[in-house]
Amino acid sequence: MTKFWAPSRRSFVKGGLAAAGLSAVPFSSALSAGFPDRNIKVYVPTREGGGADRNLRAFTGVWKKYLKTNFEPSFYPGAAGRVGYETYMGKAPADCYNLLFGNMGPEMLNWVVKKPSFSLDDYFYFARVDVDPSVVFVSAKSPFRSIDDVIAEGKKRTLNVGTSRLAHPASIGILAVGEHTGAKFNLIPLSGGKNTIAGVVTGEMDLGVLPSGSVSKKGVKVLRSLLVFDEKNRLGARLSSFDVNAPTANDHFGTKLPPLVSARAFAIQKRAVDAHPDRYKAMNDTILKVFGDPDYKKAVLKTKAPWENIRYGDAAACKTYAESITAIGERFKPLMTGKKS
Amino acid sequence: MEFDWDIFAPLFAHTLTFWWVIIPAIFLGLVVGAIPGFSAANTIIILLPLTLAMDVEVGLIFMVALYCSSRMGAGIPAILVNIPGTAGAAATPLDGYPMTRAGKGQQALAISFVSSTAGGLLTTIVALLAMPWLAQVAFYLHSVEMIVVMLFGISLIATIAARDTLKGLIAGFLGLMIGAIGADAVYATPRATFGFLELYDGVPLIPALVGLFAVSEAFLVIEGETILSGKGQDLMRKAGWAETMEGVRAALSRWWHIVWTSLIGLVIGVVPGAGASIAAFVAYQQSRTFSKTPELYGTGHIEGLVAPESANNGVTSGTLIPLLVIGIPGGATAAIMLVVLQYHGVTVGPELFIENPELAYGVFTAMAVTYALMILTILPLSRYMSRVTMVSTTYMAPLIIAFTLVGSFVPREYLFDMYLAFAFGVLGYIARKTGYHTAAILIGVILGPLLEQYFLRAMKMSQGDLTVLFSSSLANILWVLLILSVGFPYALEYRRKRLKERE
Repeated sequence: MTKFWAPSRRSFVKGGLAAAGLSAVPFSSALSAGFPDRNIKVYVPTREGGGADRNLRAFTGVWKKYLKTNFEPSFYPGAAGRVGYETYMGKAPADCYNLLFGNMGPEMLNWVVKKPSFSLDDYFYFARVDVDPSVVFVSAKSPFRSIDDVIAEGKKRTLNVGTSRLAHPASIGILAVGEHTGAKFNLIPLSGGKNTIAGVVTGEMDLGVLPSGSVSKKGVKVLRSLLVFDEKNRLGARLSSFDVNAPTANDHFGTKLPPLVSARAFAIQKRAVDAHPDRYKAMNDTILKVFGDPDYKKAVLKTKAPWENIRYGDAAACKTYAESITAIGERFKPLMTGKKS
Repeated sequence: MEFDWDIFAPLFAHTLTFWWVIIPAIFLGLVVGAIPGFSAANTIIILLPLTLAMDVEVGLIFMVALYCSSRMGAGIPAILVNIPGTAGAAATPLDGYPMTRAGKGQQALAISFVSSTAGGLLTTIVALLAMPWLAQVAFYLHSVEMIVVMLFGISLIATIAARDTLKGLIAGFLGLMIGAIGADAVYATPRATFGFLELYDGVPLIPALVGLFAVSEAFLVIEGETILSGKGQDLMRKAGWAETMEGVRAALSRWWHIVWTSLIGLVIGVVPGAGASIAAFVAYQQSRTFSKTPELYGTGHIEGLVAPESANNGVTSGTLIPLLVIGIPGGATAAIMLVVLQYHGVTVGPELFIENPELAYGVFTAMAVTYALMILTILPLSRYMSRVTMVSTTYMAPLIIAFTLVGSFVPREYLFDMYLAFAFGVLGYIARKTGYHTAAILIGVILGPLLEQYFLRAMKMSQGDLTVLFSSSLANILWVLLILSVGFPYALEYRRKRLKERE
């Protein structure tokens, strides 16, 4: 009997691997070509109607054109956003069909205050959409005309400061100003930007701290801005008080604070990227196209959000930002946890 | 921002031309309001792609009509099968459902529809006329004042406890304890969550609501043939159009009751963050306090149904005032409307009334037109809707359980919420069988977390100084009114007893 094919063990293994490779290549390509074949769910750890919602809708409204799919936002604002992160990491399948759209600043500070149940290495931010500096603001009816008025009053009595949550870059900003000047500030978490603005406008709070986008949108007839925590006041007169543009904290007080900004970005589970690098690449490639699309600028301007704050950042930029905000968060941890007042 | 009468008549006529969008929105709102778990807010979110694509005026009218009608729709299952569609309708079954069991479901529906419409219409007109002044309410009702407003609602527990003090207080306390589950409002520290992520945000309202009322009711009604009493079955068989007319007459004859309870709703609605559930409970409590027959509340008393229904519809126009006048939404639905307005580049706030008065005032004329069209479309249906109570419990009980468990799942899409609704159902069943009042538990669950939130905020602001609770004149007036309102029934009862003794 003639042996038609008698492979050695080594050639058998090689052949097997080659066959597996050959079959895997077209299969993988087919998946990549087919991605996405259904809607992508986006977990948002804040309330609907807020800054992240507005920002996300403007972005995905254009992104869907390039990725050829729709996006379904789901909002999980509970426990200072913690519910959203825990739900995403605990329940969402790691298949690139589930993303998280969060505010990196408050989130990193959240983890400084209390570690989540999952490992921080299990996910990462890969596309920053905007950079929104924190501002100190007052109601248009407030007696405070400038930050110096606030400081002078804060040296006489403790001022109540409305903030969306304690663990927020804006909260850290006003605490740092208090530490530098000796003014006393009492942070009152009001659960979200809208409630914070309501607290300030209705006079319950002496002043408030929030990202600039929420404040500038209201206009100077409703809210006056007194201080910006960034390298410069990029929005000019839109963040001003009595025709004087709000100065930056570092310029005004000579501090050396890093930019205390909110930075909204898309995050993804690391497992999803490891399992589907082609899908991750498809998302990254199309995201870049959105920033160059004039429709995106139109969509942003339509929501009255400042276009100046739209600044793309890749995974490396997101990582750098997260590390810097975590470092400053550690400094103010006792104040954010109520262990020191 | 003074109201200009010259634009009202043409604006009203103009809004009427949008009947083609208002009527479908009314039916949609009635359906989503009646289904537990759905609400105007989450329906508008689902339909955002549609409303964003519409012209801003059409989109706004659609949302307003849906908002108003969902509020009315929530009362229908609350009255007929003891299932409040939303937390705002939680006080409705207290007297609505006993009416149904007595065979007066059709009448109860008519009372609810007329009270809701009259309350909604009246507060819409008041909102139009007094918008600038009403917007100021938000500037005076701060955390301290809201603590007292909450206590008005929570004092209902004491009223319920008056029938059986120990059991009433135990039920109320249990409700407050359940309401305390979840992360605290200041430091977001989870408490009593037992490791369940689903409880971080507190006990979700819909599963608690449908569990305590509807699921426990399903367990109970299975013991009988229908949800109706023996006499009630006879009444329902004979019921005709006269029952509807009797309901209309009963509601209209209590016009003054509708007026003042809907105004309570309007004022509470103006405060950002306060909601229809607070208004409904406060109105119910006040209605009972000033009633000549307080002992009839909870047994199917007409005024006990008129008060919460008028108040929760009064909230509807109230929540839109801070949105339009100072640019701050008064509630979840108003917040979603803001998204749509912003998308269309509309700036809300005082300038809206100068730049686009048709749109600003148009919101309220849309409300008025919605209520007018709604009563015409829904009132004739009350006769047919009430027939659902004749269905045998063999079908009704499993239907209620299935329907409400699905409703519990809808808002957050957690299976956990279905189990939770079932657990609350068992709790409600045991409570009812042993004479504990489920309403007392529910008041604690709904109002407890809100009271805690305002209390913690006030404490944080005063840095732990309890005297802050008496730091404002308005709060002190409210404290006095609260003490009077809680003490008044007891004083009245004491006086009655004394008079009887003398006789």
